[in-house]
Amino acid sequence: MEIIKVTDLGIRFKMVKRKRARTRDFLMDRLNSLRNSSSSDFWALKHVSLSVIKGDTVGVIGRNGSGKSTLLRVIAGVYPPDEGKVSVEGEVSTLFGLGAGFQPELSGLDNIYLNGVLMGLPKKEIDGILDKIIEFAELGEFIDMPVRTYSSGMHSRLGFAIAMNVTKDIVLIDELMGAGDESFRKKCDQELSRIIGERTIVMVSHSMPTIQRFANKVIWLDKGQIVAQGDPKEVIQQYLTALRINAGSIQRVMTDTR
Amino acid sequence: MIDQLRSIWQRREVLFYLVKYELKAENKNKVLGFLWSFLDPLLLLVTYIVLVVFIFQRSEPQFPILLFSALLSWRWFISSLSGSVNSVTSKVGLVRTVRFPLAILPLTKIIGGFFDLMFGFVILLPMLFIFEANFSVNMLWLPVLLLIQLIGTIGASLICAVLGTYLSDLTNIIQFVLRLWFYMSPVMYSVQSRIPERYQTIYWFVNPFAGLLESYKNILVRGLPPSEYVAVAAVMAVVVFVVGFWYFARDEHKLVKAI
Repeated sequence: MEIIKVTDLGIRFKMVKRKRARTRDFLMDRLNSLRNSSSSDFWALKHVSLSVIKGDTVGVIGRNGSGKSTLLRVIAGVYPPDEGKVSVEGEVSTLFGLGAGFQPELSGLDNIYLNGVLMGLPKKEIDGILDKIIEFAELGEFIDMPVRTYSSGMHSRLGFAIAMNVTKDIVLIDELMGAGDESFRKKCDQELSRIIGERTIVMVSHSMPTIQRFANKVIWLDKGQIVAQGDPKEVIQQYLTALRINAGSIQRVMTDTR
Repeated sequence: MIDQLRSIWQRREVLFYLVKYELKAENKNKVLGFLWSFLDPLLLLVTYIVLVVFIFQRSEPQFPILLFSALLSWRWFISSLSGSVNSVTSKVGLVRTVRFPLAILPLTKIIGGFFDLMFGFVILLPMLFIFEANFSVNMLWLPVLLLIQLIGTIGASLICAVLGTYLSDLTNIIQFVLRLWFYMSPVMYSVQSRIPERYQTIYWFVNPFAGLLESYKNILVRGLPPSEYVAVAAVMAVVVFVVGFWYFARDEHKLVKAI
């Protein structure tokens, strides 16, 4: 069963050069739209088509700025497509980077509830998974402290614990192990292995070993377009080769692929 | 619009938690904490009483409660509007992570402000006794007036939320507009006493807050029915509400990218 189907997707951003220029851009935009000009468009994704079968674990790779995170946000329903079609059959939980979606002034506990309801979980169900989340995140008494006081490891653990326990059909993960020590990495690995095959996962990562371990399908994005997709080994190999040629230095590859 | 209202209703738990945490975060780290919900309106009232009674030397016996009954609802309006302007940009983390009806964000500010209003009424009630308001059945109009204001405020806040996301300057502009509007509205004075008679008709029709604020004073203090010009406010409120929802629905999908 196709759980995610993306057809000829395009996502367009207006080019804004400086943040300060927003007002002027806004006014210019109004003028331009009168004259029907759209020269400042930037396509973050263009002609992207893919399909994900229920139970798949899809790894998305590509250099910085290639549109990986944008793709995840489209699947999460945050960005509606400007072109093409996206259909997602099922509910989505997200883990987008360090503390995205956390409110810094609120306690860890409050953030669990807020994120839970945002991902569509009723309060009762959150009550049910609360202990599991707190235990997994190893926060102890910090659970009642504002999230802004958390270390980045604590951030990661809490985010990961929420995303894993908010049981949804689809889990979207952007750069899984942002921060966290070896033992946490191991725990993440275990937890991921547990849900693999059971739930559908789309993960963005620069860590090729991670992708290779978990994904049964890999998509390589570059400049908003799909360069290759399919068998993990093959696509990763192609990607790494291309990186070496483009960067001209092994060094870059080493840091990029960690 | 019906679809939007329905989708907001479906995600009402999100709204509930956002409001709860907003109220919670506001008073955290303050020594007096929750007490500020009462102290804020009280101190504001003191400021205006000093201004009008001692500096301008104008006063009627019921002046404090006339002022307060208008000031409270005005305060709800401005906190809703100025809060809505950056309601979307300030929640960028949430907005970019999960999909939910963004209209919930300005609504959070309105509901948060409504709680402040209720705390204000708790202060107002004993004052109505102290300053000998004319109690009457007309007080039962209060929910109707609040509803009119709520409808209009929702519309205006939705518009502010969209424009404020595109245009960060709106934060400054709205402060100016609201301040000017405040002095142009019968909060510190009454329409009959301060607006020249030949301009009164046009004034009633141009400023929806004229009829609305005078009505609050009528029912709470003077023991009179609402001013007939509250109808102007009601009509404008409905128009702004519809326009607000239409505009927000039209631009909602652009907002995420504009942040």
